[in-house]
Amino acid sequence: MIYRLTCFVMFLLLLAIMGYEVRADDFRRERNNMVRNQIQGRGIRDQATLQAMRSVPRHLYVPAVQRRFAYQDRPLPIGYGQTISQPYIVAYMTEIIQPHSNQKVLEIGTGSGYQAAVLAEIIDQVYTIEIIRPLGEQARIKLEAQYSNAHVMIGDGYHGWEEHAPFDAIVVTAAAEYIPPPLIEQLKEGGRMIIPVGSPFQMQQLMLVEKKKGGEISTRSLMPVRFVPFERDR
Amino acid sequence: MGAKFKTHHPLLLSLGLQSASIIAFQLTLMQLLSIAQWHHFAYMIISVAMLGFGASGTLLALARKWLTARAEWLIPLLMTISGIWMMFAFRLARTEIFRFDIYLLFVDYSQFPILAINYIIYFLPFFTGALAIGMLFIIHTRDIGKYYFSNLLGSGMGGLLALFLFFILTPQQIPPLAGLLSVMAGLLGMGKRFKKMHIALGIAACCMAIFFIARPGTIPVSQYKGIARALNLPDAEVVYRQPHSHGLIEVVSSPALRYAPALSLSYTGQVPVKKHIFVNGDYAGVVPKYKSGQEDHILNYSTQALPWVLGKHDRVLMLNAAEGATLSQIFTKNPLHVDAIIPNAGIIDALREKFSSESADLIAHENLHIHHIEGRNFLASTHLAPFDLILLPLQDAFGGTSGVNALQENYMLTQEAFGSMWQNLSNDGVISISSWIDYPPRTSLKILATLVGTMTEHSPHDPSDHIVAVRSWGTITFMVKKSPFTKGEMANIREFCQTMYFDPLLMPDLEIGERDHFNKLDDGSFFNYIDRIMAFDEAFMEEYTFMIYPAIDDKPYFSQFLKPGTFRELSRTFGADQFPFLELGYLIVLVTLLQSALLAFVFIIMPLLRLKKKSREGKMATVLYFGALGIGYMFVEIILIQRFVLYFGQAVYAISAVISTMLIFSGAGSLVSGRLRPTLNNMTINGLIVAGMLSLYVAFLTSWLQYTIAAPLGVKILISLLIIGIPSFFKGMMFPLGIRHLAGYDIRQVPWAWGINGSFSVVSTSLAMLIAVEAGFRMVLSVAVICYVLASMVWVLHKLVIMKRNNRENIL
Repeated sequence: MIYRLTCFVMFLLLLAIMGYEVRADDFRRERNNMVRNQIQGRGIRDQATLQAMRSVPRHLYVPAVQRRFAYQDRPLPIGYGQTISQPYIVAYMTEIIQPHSNQKVLEIGTGSGYQAAVLAEIIDQVYTIEIIRPLGEQARIKLEAQYSNAHVMIGDGYHGWEEHAPFDAIVVTAAAEYIPPPLIEQLKEGGRMIIPVGSPFQMQQLMLVEKKKGGEISTRSLMPVRFVPFERDR
Repeated sequence: MGAKFKTHHPLLLSLGLQSASIIAFQLTLMQLLSIAQWHHFAYMIISVAMLGFGASGTLLALARKWLTARAEWLIPLLMTISGIWMMFAFRLARTEIFRFDIYLLFVDYSQFPILAINYIIYFLPFFTGALAIGMLFIIHTRDIGKYYFSNLLGSGMGGLLALFLFFILTPQQIPPLAGLLSVMAGLLGMGKRFKKMHIALGIAACCMAIFFIARPGTIPVSQYKGIARALNLPDAEVVYRQPHSHGLIEVVSSPALRYAPALSLSYTGQVPVKKHIFVNGDYAGVVPKYKSGQEDHILNYSTQALPWVLGKHDRVLMLNAAEGATLSQIFTKNPLHVDAIIPNAGIIDALREKFSSESADLIAHENLHIHHIEGRNFLASTHLAPFDLILLPLQDAFGGTSGVNALQENYMLTQEAFGSMWQNLSNDGVISISSWIDYPPRTSLKILATLVGTMTEHSPHDPSDHIVAVRSWGTITFMVKKSPFTKGEMANIREFCQTMYFDPLLMPDLEIGERDHFNKLDDGSFFNYIDRIMAFDEAFMEEYTFMIYPAIDDKPYFSQFLKPGTFRELSRTFGADQFPFLELGYLIVLVTLLQSALLAFVFIIMPLLRLKKKSREGKMATVLYFGALGIGYMFVEIILIQRFVLYFGQAVYAISAVISTMLIFSGAGSLVSGRLRPTLNNMTINGLIVAGMLSLYVAFLTSWLQYTIAAPLGVKILISLLIIGIPSFFKGMMFPLGIRHLAGYDIRQVPWAWGINGSFSVVSTSLAMLIAVEAGFRMVLSVAVICYVLASMVWVLHKLVIMKRNNRENIL
């Protein structure tokens, strides 16, 4: 009897493991589809960015109840009024800062940690700040387990991270009504800051802030990122 | 007669209490849901809940005999259940398992079943309450005039009671009181043999209400509302909370809450920490900090500083000045006289009582004159000296409002409003208005179209000499000046732009290349739109994807940008699944209309299947008559509320004046109708009187209200009583006359008629809003006229059809 029961439990475990493997394969396939259709299809060409998007398991950065939607072409709620951005936005924001391995990048608004993970795949040092403690702590566990080059701080992103400044690029993931002056100051001359304008439940516009040699600041509105038509549909 | 009336007395009182309870609960629920979510969601829930009236008619039609046979104990029981459910409904819906978030509806499909459960929770008290009322109507069809009078009077009093309670209690404390009224109504209606049960139930209900009032709990605000996000910040806390008729006012403090909208990128100082004010959970402004003699201000580093670049302005009018930061900025420029329009008196009370250490120098400033009325009423005053500067606050929310305000009337942003501002400007006076930049652009384009339209109407000069606009990375400030801009002023504006990293967008001598020196756009289409609006190119405005024509008083919906004709184009451009992210508010109203229309249809059709065999003919006439009354009554009510908001300058007064006057006068009409026989003649004449009076509304209402808008309050109240009251008196006769006529004709159709009237009333609420948005108030009133003409003719036509058929049968 015990033998049969053990066999049955083993059988169930085997099924669960197989299911997990199958599901992991599914996620990998979904991730590749996501990169091909949503990201390459919309014109992202930077190879490092594409590779990073293929590598980072997005489904691990969304709440369990949202996992099946992880690779869909939309933002997802992660609690506390925050969202994990649409995959294309993450890719676009990564590409636009022209990422290289020997850079130092600051991210404001860690959220789920997904954007930081994508950056950490490419860049040497990624510093990320989250103001909402529970989100920051969850992200810290996930990021620090996977990436030794990702550093999470829980605090007010307004002040930036002065001891590691200046930064080659700053990625602001949460839209803000103003751009904190300390962040402009901590951006290297020639550096780039990318910031979404608009609420996550609206059509967002990305804005690139450039600090020129001599300190003059200019901005460039980029395409409305949320609703860019697929290139293949054109 | 007297003795007979005595036997009715407790029942009439019971009916009045039940009606009062339902309306008080409905208004409170609107307030609660607006705080927890937002007001369109409140409409969405309430519209289904109110269909309880339609459903009760359906049930009565299907099981009239069974129900009326048990009326003695069933009516009080239904009232009691309704009351107890009212006490529990919101508490139940806010539990973790049933908590719904409208913002997640389109990204988290698990919200749909929760929404359905919410519908049921809120539907039940309306259904049980309406069933009790419907049963009373059906049992006392002969005396329907008195019962309908009691129903209308009770509803009117319930509305007033709710408005009064909003001042003294938090919204979550009111449902227990409304529920208690309903339980009391049940106790009054109980027969003597249930005396012991009366006492026990009454005591239990009182205890429950007291307990719930003493422990009101919190309102579970959506995590996406402004206040919830503010409270996520470190060390955030609510430092002030006060219920008010304008909504629940809360002030949040956190060291990470700052205020610097679209701050210039050249600013290197500290961004000030500010306490944020929220009304019903939505951002309403900041607690201004100001010290006498202060010269610097964070808004001086935003495009909102533009009017001050021209120089000093002695007489300033700040419209909708609840955004205290702009008010404090004005005083850093040392004006001699500032009129600040703050309709929400609760905010000023908060600043005076709780935050005087920060705001005292501002609020008590000798040059500041605060007015608690709407800007339009202030501008209509006849004794105003001209202003050098009229300022409007920053429009729209950062990143847009998702169409949240699409159906919110705003009389300050209509072309007539800007015309009124223009007439109150001094010779070199300026109007300044700022807006967040939205994508795709619509708010800024509509503002410009309104300014150009105003200039075209009021000035013979070329608008391009009088309009200047400056753009930062996040905002645009428009300025329209009565006299042309001078070269010196334009040089100052250029210097301002250079220092702040802003770009001139409109200026008389603007050169190519100046427009995007610091803030580049992805393409030049926005500038093209701006230029075409400057030329008031109507063809462009017609073909643009969004509604950017200036709003007018007849359609005062500035924030309504969607054109129904472009749904397909928007879906094609952005993807149908993304549509909800574009203008969610309008979509919710459409969904509200569709779902209530669908349910109403079911409620109306279901009894028909049963009536088919049993009932006599005339079913179409019943639908048309009671449907037309439902639509006509609600259409008039909604438009009068919208119109009187402008007239009284205070939404609370307008709503109370319109609802209570309509209901009380209709009640009086209903009472008097008991003296009339329900003949076709009487019904036709009465219907035509109402239609005639409403036709006068269509033709003259706007001008009557405009001529008397500046009259003393007493005169305005008298005029309101006449304008609203007289037609309401006649409207009030139509329902009881119709019911008595129907009872004489076919009693089985009476409950069905009650359901039809209820269903159409609910559907017409959202329908009226949509027609008003698309075609204007006059159109809604015109439809109401048609409804009353139809109601007056329908029985006559029905009789003619029957006579014709009988003649044919006789001939055969």
